Amino acid sequence: MSDPHSRQADRSWRSTDISSTLAVTGFQLRRMLSRQRLLLAGLGVIFPAAVMLAVRRTVPAGLDRDLAVTMIYALVPEAVCMLGLLVTMCPAVADELERGTWIHVSVRPGGRRALLVGTYLAAVIWTSTVAILAAALAVFVAGVRQPWPLIGMLMVLVVLSSLGRGALFALPAVILPRRALVASVGVALVVEYLAGFIPAVVNQATVSLRLRSLLVSWMNWRRQLPVEMQLLIDPQPAWVQITAVFTLAAVLLVAAVKILEYRQFPPSTEI
Amino acid sequence: MLSLTHVTKVFGSVIGVNDVTVELGNGAHGLLGPNGAGKTTLLGLITGQLRPTMGQIRVFGERPFANPRVLRRIGFCPAADLLERRATPREWVRYLVRLSGFGPRAAADRADRELDRVGLGEAMDRPLSTLSKGMRQRAKLAGAMAHDPDLLVLDEPFDGLDPVARHDLVGLVRRWAVAADTAASGPRTLIVASHLLHEVEALHAGLAVILGGRLVASGTAGEIRDMVETMPTEIRIRCDTPRRLAEAVCGTAGAESMRFEGDDLLVVATRQPRALAERITRAAVEERLAIGEVVAADQSLEGIFGRLVRLHRGVAS
Repeated sequence: MSDPHSRQADRSWRSTDISSTLAVTGFQLRRMLSRQRLLLAGLGVIFPAAVMLAVRRTVPAGLDRDLAVTMIYALVPEAVCMLGLLVTMCPAVADELERGTWIHVSVRPGGRRALLVGTYLAAVIWTSTVAILAAALAVFVAGVRQPWPLIGMLMVLVVLSSLGRGALFALPAVILPRRALVASVGVALVVEYLAGFIPAVVNQATVSLRLRSLLVSWMNWRRQLPVEMQLLIDPQPAWVQITAVFTLAAVLLVAAVKILEYRQFPPSTEI
Repeated sequence: MLSLTHVTKVFGSVIGVNDVTVELGNGAHGLLGPNGAGKTTLLGLITGQLRPTMGQIRVFGERPFANPRVLRRIGFCPAADLLERRATPREWVRYLVRLSGFGPRAAADRADRELDRVGLGEAMDRPLSTLSKGMRQRAKLAGAMAHDPDLLVLDEPFDGLDPVARHDLVGLVRRWAVAADTAASGPRTLIVASHLLHEVEALHAGLAVILGGRLVASGTAGEIRDMVETMPTEIRIRCDTPRRLAEAVCGTAGAESMRFEGDDLLVVATRQPRALAERITRAAVEERLAIGEVVAADQSLEGIFGRLVRLHRGVAS
């Protein structure tokens, strides 16, 4: 065996995997710095603030804080994060197939795993950055009192939303790479917004339940909520909700990685 | 180094590779076949992108599919053009080397060195979109070779290139193949898939011919010629009275079949072309026939390949 391979053999698999994953993350983030993506990011930052400005103009006396927080929550950790992840995470495999780069990556040791996890991290970083800027701008435009704690809370919700939903969208990206966008919209609607609002065991496995529960908990809204609305949140403490999101993300991501490691894409020129 | 035992790969109802058994040792090997013959599928199986439906593949003694130990030692340059247009060759090759397990600094050094070697030193910071196809092909080659693989697999590496770029890249690959025999790190293997025979011949590679997913011949160019010589070959004789000539050679000199083309051409299939040529000469003298031209089958590698294709397709030789 040649020298480089001996040197590599000395390195642990883990460090090789981390190095490859970081390489993919850096490469994907550079790809995201295109004019189109930056324009899209700018729209994502401005859109919630524009909505809040429009709403604020209709209420001369000033927006109710709880209403403003609810709206910003719906616009940023829900809408902006969802849209950002649809754009960045769904094409994780399809983009590589279209650009002819999949074949280069898939013949590298751990290339498939690094591609998915690295793209996931890039999608989370990109979406979280856009969403945090959007949340901060929307809070200031809404003129909410004591904005900084609110921005801190929204930052945590944004990061959790990106981590959880990025992993959720990784599954359609590897199972149906060519139709990942459509499949992901379906998954978002069925899993997050249908199953997530069913007051049964099924909603325990959704990110939307965890985020709603954290919002209600951190805003101290639980006692104000009508009984029927209390069925739509989980009363357990914040650390349970956060752990649940991390666990969900890890399980989904591992499943997606395992599927991708065994996927075969036939050479289209020959069949 | 590499062995395939009764390997079959099926995509739905399409057979990509059909019952291929071959062993390839160190050195250079050419995989020849027309478009759609199954070369890319076979390379996909060897480079661990595809799993065989049936049969067994061993590369460095192990199954290659999803096996990092094997993939670490393989360099692959696919046929498809690189559509990653915003990245520069330097960024692209560094990225690939890092995916092979090297750290950022080692990847940078290796990428720069390999890009220099393939002649992209001046253009390594230009976006791939601004480079010619030949330059992108060089970038792909650099990406395949920069991590110093023990097995280098190139799929149609010279396809679509202008003659100058083709000449340069053939030289580059030939140098790698020559260096492979004497590499300090130990012997290495080169596999080049192509439908352009003269380029594979120029690499002085052993040959494997694949048609319709089947391996129909393998060995050195000489061995394949010998094998083909045992198959019926066509002799085309232009003559003013081909029917009289046919009567003269009929049933002699191993003439297996005959046909007429036009008014002045007789085509004879035989396994003994030398004996047939002597019989034709004798007949020309004895029967006072005017022979205008005698053309034997093309014995160049191109000709042999053409005959193997025709034989495989069931067209009379």
